[in-house]
Amino acid sequence: MAGASMKDIKLRVKSVQSTMQITKAMELVASSKLRRAKENAERRRPFFNILHDTLTDIAVSNRDFSSPYLLQRPVKKSCYVVIAGDRGLAGGYNANVFRLAAASMAGKTCMVLPVGKKAVEYFSRHGFELVSQRYVSVETLGHSDCEDIASVLTEGYRSGDFDELFVVYTNFVSMLTQDPAVIKVLPIHDVRGEKEKKAPLILYEPSCSAVYDAIVPQYVTGILFCAASESLASELGARRTAMDAASKNAAEMIDDLSLRYNRARQGAITQEITEIVAGAEQ
Amino acid sequence: MASFHLQIVTADGLCFDGDAESILVRTIDGDVCILARHIDYVTALGYGEARVTADGKTRRAACMGGMLAVTGDRVRVVASAFEWQENIDVARAQNALERAQAALEAADTKDEKGFASAALKRAQIRLRVAQQK
Repeated sequence: MAGASMKDIKLRVKSVQSTMQITKAMELVASSKLRRAKENAERRRPFFNILHDTLTDIAVSNRDFSSPYLLQRPVKKSCYVVIAGDRGLAGGYNANVFRLAAASMAGKTCMVLPVGKKAVEYFSRHGFELVSQRYVSVETLGHSDCEDIASVLTEGYRSGDFDELFVVYTNFVSMLTQDPAVIKVLPIHDVRGEKEKKAPLILYEPSCSAVYDAIVPQYVTGILFCAASESLASELGARRTAMDAASKNAAEMIDDLSLRYNRARQGAITQEITEIVAGAEQ
Repeated sequence: MASFHLQIVTADGLCFDGDAESILVRTIDGDVCILARHIDYVTALGYGEARVTADGKTRRAACMGGMLAVTGDRVRVVASAFEWQENIDVARAQNALERAQAALEAADTKDEKGFASAALKRAQIRLRVAQQK
């Protein structure tokens, strides 16, 4: 029994070791990419906040509903842009995004524009109506891709393909915390309660609808671009944490297994000596 | 002179955050100058030169696309691109200008033409702003 188990243990140690090599390498790759992604996300955050605040501020005091982007239509269909990861092995990162998306979509007729390979796979497997399957990589999603997506979406919104637009992404809070979030992008709406409403008039130049026609595609582009960079940083952060934990677990397992291996070896030697001694005594 | 709080932001970060006395921008309808105590106002930006006056000093910049919003005593400019005069990469703009001119000549479809002429305009504005004193 001892000999067989010694060999088994040795094999397991080897396999755990090679897994640990992979998790370690993935951790290193994630942390080196994370640094840049984090810088990008942080640099874009003021843009994201100011853009979103400004549009909501305008919506609060707006009394002119001549632009379709401001009009709340009865919702027949919603469109979701879901930004998830390109790869798995990032802890709960992808699952959290999908859970939040599913909770937010519950009871609605939806179409989805998935961004990231995992999102494309998930939503096509679950039989959702997809706007496009082209955006399989968050990592290489550039500003011009976001412009393309925004022009498709604003076009779809104007022509009545869907009546509201949401973006599901992950907020990069810190290296250790990433929060999935949903934001409503269209129609541009008033998030504050009725009570707080003040109604200063806003002057639009040249006209309300001309201003919104020019602004909204850029607004959607900006939101998508920033959400994608936040999500990318989150994915890498989540992967780093997950891979760090995996490497630690592997190291623990190796320690445990080598202890058991040494015990088994010692046991085998003791037994052999006992047998020899017993043979000599006879 | 009375001042107001001005924030200028692009996807590449915050370009300006502080008090200013005036800002002049090119909107889709022409040049507009905002001073303190302006009525709430929203407009979309075109491609052009922007001038920001703060502490009596005027700085020039190339400002392309986006929006300008005045809400209360805050003025916010959310631009697709905003580059201060001293940060403009002249060699790159010169290259972009030549590329855009070539692309415009080779363009067949309306989309390509629009794209190339927009690039041409961006490059021209960058060069013009950079070369001004």
